[in-house]
Amino acid sequence: MFRYIVRRLLQMVLTFFGATFFVYALMFANQDDPIQALAGERPITESVRQALTERYHLDDPFLLQYWYYMKGMLTGDFGTSLTGRKISDMMEVAWPVTIKLGLIAIVIAAAVAVTSGVIAGIRRGSIFDNVTLVITLIILSLPIVVLAPLAQLIFGIKLGWFPPTAGATPTFWALLLPALVLGSLVIATELRVTRSSVAENLRSDYVRTARAKGLSRKRVIGVHVLRNSLIPVVTLIGVDIGGLMSGAIVTERIFNVPGVGFNLFRGIRTEDGPLVVGFVSILVIVFLVVNLLVDLLYAALDPRIRYE
Amino acid sequence: MFGNRPWKMAVGATAIALLASGCSGGGSDDTDASSNSVIIGISEPQHLIPSNTTETSGAQVLAALFYPLVDFDDQNKPELVAAESISSDDNKVWTVKLKPGFTFSNGEAVTSDSYIQAWNYGAYGPNGQGASYFFERIEGYADLQSVDPDGEDGPQKAPEPKAKSLTGLKKVDDTTFTVSLTAPFTGWESVMGYSAFYPLPNAAFSAPGVIADGFEDAIVGNGPFKMKGTWQHDSQIEVEKVDGFKGTVPKIDGINFKIYQDQKAEYADLTAGNLDVQSSIPIESLAAAPGDLGDRFQKSPSSSFQFVGFPTFQKEFQDVNVRRALSMAINRQEMTDQIFLGSQSPATGFVSPAVAGYRDNVCGENCTYNAAEAKALWAAAPTAPKKIQITYNADGGHKAWVDAMCNQIKQSLAIECTGVGEPKFADLLTKVEKKSPVGLIRLGWVMDYPLMENYLGPLYGTGGSSNYYGYSNKKFDDLVAEGSKAATPEEAITKWQAAEDILATDMPVIPLRFGQNVYGFSEKVSNVKVDTQTRVDLYNIEVK
Amino acid sequence: MSESITAAAGPSGAPMMEPKHADKRDKPRSLAGDAWVDLRRNKIFWFAATLVVLILAMAVFPKLFTSADPRDCILARQHGGASGSALFGYDFQGCDVYARTIYGARASIEVGVLATLLSGIIGLLFGLATGYFGGWIDAVLSRFIDIILGIPFLLAAIVLAKRFSSDSNSNGVVAVTITLGILGWTTAARIMRSSVISAKNQDYVAAARMLGAGPGRLMLRHILPNSIASFIVVLTILLGANIASEATLSFLGIGLKGDAISWGIAISDAGSYVRVAPAPLIWPSVFLAATVLAFIMLGDAVRDAFDPKLR
Repeated sequence: MFRYIVRRLLQMVLTFFGATFFVYALMFANQDDPIQALAGERPITESVRQALTERYHLDDPFLLQYWYYMKGMLTGDFGTSLTGRKISDMMEVAWPVTIKLGLIAIVIAAAVAVTSGVIAGIRRGSIFDNVTLVITLIILSLPIVVLAPLAQLIFGIKLGWFPPTAGATPTFWALLLPALVLGSLVIATELRVTRSSVAENLRSDYVRTARAKGLSRKRVIGVHVLRNSLIPVVTLIGVDIGGLMSGAIVTERIFNVPGVGFNLFRGIRTEDGPLVVGFVSILVIVFLVVNLLVDLLYAALDPRIRYE
Repeated sequence: MFGNRPWKMAVGATAIALLASGCSGGGSDDTDASSNSVIIGISEPQHLIPSNTTETSGAQVLAALFYPLVDFDDQNKPELVAAESISSDDNKVWTVKLKPGFTFSNGEAVTSDSYIQAWNYGAYGPNGQGASYFFERIEGYADLQSVDPDGEDGPQKAPEPKAKSLTGLKKVDDTTFTVSLTAPFTGWESVMGYSAFYPLPNAAFSAPGVIADGFEDAIVGNGPFKMKGTWQHDSQIEVEKVDGFKGTVPKIDGINFKIYQDQKAEYADLTAGNLDVQSSIPIESLAAAPGDLGDRFQKSPSSSFQFVGFPTFQKEFQDVNVRRALSMAINRQEMTDQIFLGSQSPATGFVSPAVAGYRDNVCGENCTYNAAEAKALWAAAPTAPKKIQITYNADGGHKAWVDAMCNQIKQSLAIECTGVGEPKFADLLTKVEKKSPVGLIRLGWVMDYPLMENYLGPLYGTGGSSNYYGYSNKKFDDLVAEGSKAATPEEAITKWQAAEDILATDMPVIPLRFGQNVYGFSEKVSNVKVDTQTRVDLYNIEVK
Repeated sequence: MSESITAAAGPSGAPMMEPKHADKRDKPRSLAGDAWVDLRRNKIFWFAATLVVLILAMAVFPKLFTSADPRDCILARQHGGASGSALFGYDFQGCDVYARTIYGARASIEVGVLATLLSGIIGLLFGLATGYFGGWIDAVLSRFIDIILGIPFLLAAIVLAKRFSSDSNSNGVVAVTITLGILGWTTAARIMRSSVISAKNQDYVAAARMLGAGPGRLMLRHILPNSIASFIVVLTILLGANIASEATLSFLGIGLKGDAISWGIAISDAGSYVRVAPAPLIWPSVFLAATVLAFIMLGDAVRDAFDPKLR
């Protein structure tokens, strides 16, 4: 077990460099004219263009740019964005609020999806099963660019249950509505997967054995079925962070949360290489840690799985 | 290796983390200490150094922190503010005399040097200041720019510029300085009203020509307000009244510029009462705005001008009748009514009503909807294409009207028309530079200073900074230049109007719409005005 | 279509590859044959299949369903109500909502189905390989998945869409399909991997291995059928998500181009005016939901039919 974790941690270092390199290459490929992108529709004079190009090493070859960047990052300096702000400062504002938003979204989505998924899986074909199916389909069929403003309009403005926007230092209550919208992105998949794996496990041998042993239905479902059904669901929660991040790009904008998604969107739009790679570097570390935890959880959930 | 039920532990731990994070975020509902302050929505400014500020949000914040040399009256004529007099005998050498006794909010006196060093910093090429082109007309500007000997992509670095300060700026005494231009320019007084011409205190510089670290986040100006704390990026900028301010004193004690990433979010906050002023309501919210806001939803003239350009590198648009036919095929009134719900008005000329010299219906029948005539012209033109494409940037909310315009062209000319979205304006420009067949190019213009010239030279002059479609007409260039050199503003306007008439016959672009500010405010405030540069008038706004 | 994944890569292909292993005591009937017998009796299967056929017909022959021209838009008809000539009324641009919904099926189905298929194939291969072999193959491929996950979807989509759509005459369907397909497989792969990991430790797999079954046979005949359930579920959901994602991409100017008509575009366009006219938003959404529903039901039915544990 210990050796497995050490091995994974070593792999992480390599993955980290791989990911930053890959993203930097993508940003480089995407970079047509960052100076014009920054200026929007304003014309730029030749000397301004020249000054900025030199300041941000924009005319250097790709590998050299990457080298400058990595050299800085390894000494703890994430560099400055093309607007001249320290990226570490930007992260200090962005990460806490996005982590809060993401956690609330994950917990709500997982709680709702697992609970209704289990019920739907036990009572397949029941009214509850069909109703949840239809509701998830409706949510699924609305792209987030429509869903988020709709939720803001109905619950934020018309009903006034939540503040319509959250801001940089939001309360739990203000984050709840964007988190619900964000969570709804992954709820459909989580719910359907839970449902199907519960249904499958209900038919398996060990459940029959457990029933035959005379265990109560509650215990059979609550311990045996649930535990075995959670493997794919836990996997999903691990990978869904990626989905949440791309959803956050839209959600954070609509609810005015200056978080990671917003900064990524801004960085991509203004072709701001250091900004995007800086945030993605941290994002990749989060993925790596979460997926390590998920893999460890497999072993915990299913004693048959062993890591050496 | 794990407890008996590790997944329960995991869930428990997450729940605890969640609760903790939820609680820690609770202390941020800052109620405004003084009730006599307002909350104005902006987007994150790119920069707050005046010579680097080119967008509305930055200009809005600077308008609170700085006191300009001149401002503009309702007719967009310059009126003196921080300057006691601005005069010139030949429109080439201008003498600026400052009102005495003004200080920056840190107590430093405002002197001629405050202006000269700020302008030198702004004009110096290697500083890369976005608004540096405003100083182009001042003598010695060229010597402050460095020329890369082997072009931008070459390996050689550009050498240092020849000079560090503009030879055209001369200090006479502490409150007087002269500005010499390379060529006479009758509208120079108006140009100096732009935010690039604000002064900077000595505290701004850590060494001559170097802005001190952190100054931009806690900028010090000569205006009626000063920063309260520092610029909280992506969140807010708070300013408070300067005690004993010598100039016009505003009626409010402080402003919280709340930063929004998205105008729809801003509008949501306005309707929920969390925001006092939104200077620009997005088109998606316009239909609901009159109902949501009642008489707190208002309009005022803005300087923006929307048009589509014909790329000259595409042969099919070289026939003027093709261009005229397309222009006549568009029903501008229907577009502004149905798509913009009256928030913009049909353009019948090339110069915005926001500047002196504007005339109604310059464009005449070329900009009047006439499907039959358009179709006849189209049929008669030998090079008329079968298919039209309109390229726009998808991030600017242009899809709805481009689609509508295409539908109108389809109806009128019975040809195919498609709107093609590029992610950003920069992508569109890249395609234009590569001479890809982009078809009609969606473009817009917001003035830098209220002169007709600003709508002509940069957009249609040969080699103009925003002349992306490559229009070139010697006679037009000459008329614009003659106007700039004219002795009096009236004479200048006559020349510029003649230049505009050339555009009306040549039709290098299709004028579509003149913009308006559509703004809204809360029940808490009154006397809200938004100027032609989409800035809220901070001197008139009042808290009820 | 999700059922074709099972048919192509799943158990039905296996018997043909190794027919000598078929049970000789009674009439040889493959897993696929068994499944077909099951399916024929399943009402939900027939309902879903009918719906899918109807939607496909709409995508291939839109003219069967409407005679109106979806590109005939007159601004004066903006948000006009429903009438005999326009069943669902008119949208913001004055286009016939019914006609646009019918014609929108093609691009939406193409993008949704093809991208899901692409993701499914990549995900299946990655999931099987990582889960079954473990060791360094798992380490390398899993970390590769982590890298893909770490890349912001929007960035990758912009870069890919730009590279794939240099041809200005294409309507962007291929570019969007490849973009969504290449970016969407990670979830399916991780799900497949986790199912395979838990399936390969089961007794029957050990038994089969001891009987001398090779990796190919083990994977295809024993592990795959037992771990495909969650995978199919993820894919059917992905189908719906892909159709909706196309809207988000188009909204950002990197999706379908020009005058392409799709449900996604219709939904995101109408979203802005929902307070004034909800119909142009509701109808394409209903069609999209019904399509996803049909595929989900079909996926469920096919999965149940193929699941050996159910028999």
